[in-house]
Amino acid sequence: MFNVDVLIRAAIALAIILCSIGVYLLYNWTLKFRTGSLLTDLGPKHPGAFTLVYFTTPTCVPCKTVQRPAIQSLRQMLGNALHVVEIDAAERPELADRWGVMSVPTTFLIDPRGKLRHVNHGVARAEKLLMQIHGGR
Amino acid sequence: MTTQTQHLQKVDHNALKANQLTIITLNLLAFIFNLPILAAIVAVVMGLGSLLKVPGFLPLYRYFYKPAGLLKPDVLEDNPEPHRFAQFLGFIFMTGGSVSLFLGASALGWGLVWLVIVLAALNAFGGFCVGCAVYYWLARIKVPGFAKTPPIGFFPGMKPKTRV
Repeated sequence: MFNVDVLIRAAIALAIILCSIGVYLLYNWTLKFRTGSLLTDLGPKHPGAFTLVYFTTPTCVPCKTVQRPAIQSLRQMLGNALHVVEIDAAERPELADRWGVMSVPTTFLIDPRGKLRHVNHGVARAEKLLMQIHGGR
Repeated sequence: MTTQTQHLQKVDHNALKANQLTIITLNLLAFIFNLPILAAIVAVVMGLGSLLKVPGFLPLYRYFYKPAGLLKPDVLEDNPEPHRFAQFLGFIFMTGGSVSLFLGASALGWGLVWLVIVLAALNAFGGFCVGCAVYYWLARIKVPGFAKTPPIGFFPGMKPKTRV
């Protein structure tokens, strides 16, 4: 039987969880301010194109089975409007750390003006990436 | 980048994750339903895990999470010692929390339980193990018994990315 005490405690728990998610989102938000200094890692600029920075490792299974095909289909759809930079986090861990990559796959979507639009920790399907490119969540 | 040799072992990070997820779930239930006994059980299991040098809720991973397809092995090259230390640290906090709750110090007790929830969540969802970072820090200042260094190229406590 649920009583008031249980409901209050559940509400407190929910509030703490929401606060934690807020802190996580804030962390992602602060990444946007660091993008300027990180863009030098990506090599030559591609004017007018979105840049997708994709962190992976050779043995990451979801990277091979889901993330890479998603990026490939996105490439086919968008052509030159999308520039993909794939980074092996195992080979370049210092880069992964600088970008705040905690697990693979992680994708960073940077708009043509060089601003970080979205960070996806974990698999991001083609539809999601496409929505992010077109300005949605 | 250093050239030191490291003797990393195979560590199944999803066994650790199953442990953390179970700790989070049980502690949340303990808090919501005001069940200090459940927090005490979590403390005991973590203590047993520390003693046996395995994740306390390893049987749940073997017989529930894996068969149910919720988690698959994610074996990485890593040091197991910092993770054991992290669990031991969790056990200390959980024991302190449980004892406080039984002594009537609810704020302190639940505060410690929540600390374990937050640290376990940070590890399970963020890939950062605070207990491991503490271990590596103690190793750095040469505290006896703390000898391992983080996998080369990785920030202390951060989940390694090299799969076996």
